[in-house]
Amino acid sequence: MNDDDLWLDALLDDELDAAASLALQRRLAAEPALQRRLAERRAVRDAVRGQATRHAAPDALRASLNAMLAARADPGAPVTREHGRRRAPSRLRVALPWASAIGGALVATLGTLLVVDPGALRWPRPDAMTSQQLAEASEAVSAHTRALLVDHPIEVASSDQHTVRPWLSARLNFVPPVVDLAAQGYPLLGARRDVLSGETAAALVYRHGAHMISVFVRPAEPGAAASAEATRVVRGFNVVERTQGGLAFCFVSDLNPKELLALADLLTPLAGK
Amino acid sequence: MTDDAQSRFAAAVLPHLDAAYNLARWLVRDAHDAQDVVQDALVRALRHFDGFRGGDPRPWLLAIVRNAAFAWLGARRPGDVEVPDDELDAALAVGAPPGDPESLAIRQAERRQIDAAIAALPIAFREALVLRELEELSYRDIARITDVPIGTVMSRLSRARQLLATALRSPT
Repeated sequence: MNDDDLWLDALLDDELDAAASLALQRRLAAEPALQRRLAERRAVRDAVRGQATRHAAPDALRASLNAMLAARADPGAPVTREHGRRRAPSRLRVALPWASAIGGALVATLGTLLVVDPGALRWPRPDAMTSQQLAEASEAVSAHTRALLVDHPIEVASSDQHTVRPWLSARLNFVPPVVDLAAQGYPLLGARRDVLSGETAAALVYRHGAHMISVFVRPAEPGAAASAEATRVVRGFNVVERTQGGLAFCFVSDLNPKELLALADLLTPLAGK
Repeated sequence: MTDDAQSRFAAAVLPHLDAAYNLARWLVRDAHDAQDVVQDALVRALRHFDGFRGGDPRPWLLAIVRNAAFAWLGARRPGDVEVPDDELDAALAVGAPPGDPESLAIRQAERRQIDAAIAALPIAFREALVLRELEELSYRDIARITDVPIGTVMSRLSRARQLLATALRSPT
């Protein structure tokens, strides 16, 4: 299992955006071993799709659904409680398609803004990983590029910190600082959950110019120094790691280190506040 | 429930009854138990139909079926839903480097072998695979239904395919 497999699968599943797909096709043309891997995964997919049993609902199940609906339709059925409730969310029902339409448009716009570096697909094998830290930075870069590649960088698309923060805190056991920094040149695009070292992390997504920035936030290790910092380049991406206020931050982007650090300086002091 | 709401519910759910049953059947791996799970899910779906905000009803219904299946398994066969991570890793450790003859063996695998290989997958991998290959849902929908990040969906799907490749390469 490696990242190649994830990308080959995403290609088979038609979940790569055009640029990433093209980059992977170029790599495939040059690497017979990768072609064999793809052929095998395609064989598995075709075998499952073509042969695996699709279990059809038994007639008894259909009959019991119809019976259930008939019982519900009975005017004597005690369902009056639900009448009042059903009217209430009608405003939401109108509002939500709007929100998702705006989210969709935002992601579509991002797709055109994004320049996926084809070089990112041609990573060297991770022989050089000497420390756990480097491995973690590398994992953060993988998570960042994966999010870009599959065109799903954001689960909750909003520049409103009052939308993003509750969304994250409902899904995580810690609360990352969430603030829109559009005034400083770093608009908040939204957030998603991601997994680093087997733990769920918050991933805030910011933009600066045409560059996308992933900010991974996790609770700091108990033994970690109160304020530690490291800056490195991993496979062409700049990575800034900083521990502050009990949280471990990892900033990943193809943005230059100076501007990436500027975002870190804006965001990390808010940890724990 | 008004006639209108009832007909909206029927219109939303009936076309996806096969998908609901198929998912339940693959998760609990028993025809009779799968019926129980789907009935339970339909009762929940009807009760929470207010919360359905339009759009595609299939992922909404499948999320309810999935949760009903996990609740059912958790109460009756807890061993099925608690798979420690190291066991998953051990399952992945086996496997030969891929090659063309192996792809051929996989293509020639029979329905019985394929069904058995899917049924043997750990449940987290099995649900991702069934939702993707048999229900043809997007990564995003699968992430919503199984309530995990999209990155986790990708790695589970990838691992599921790896395990199947290994199983089908060496038919027993």
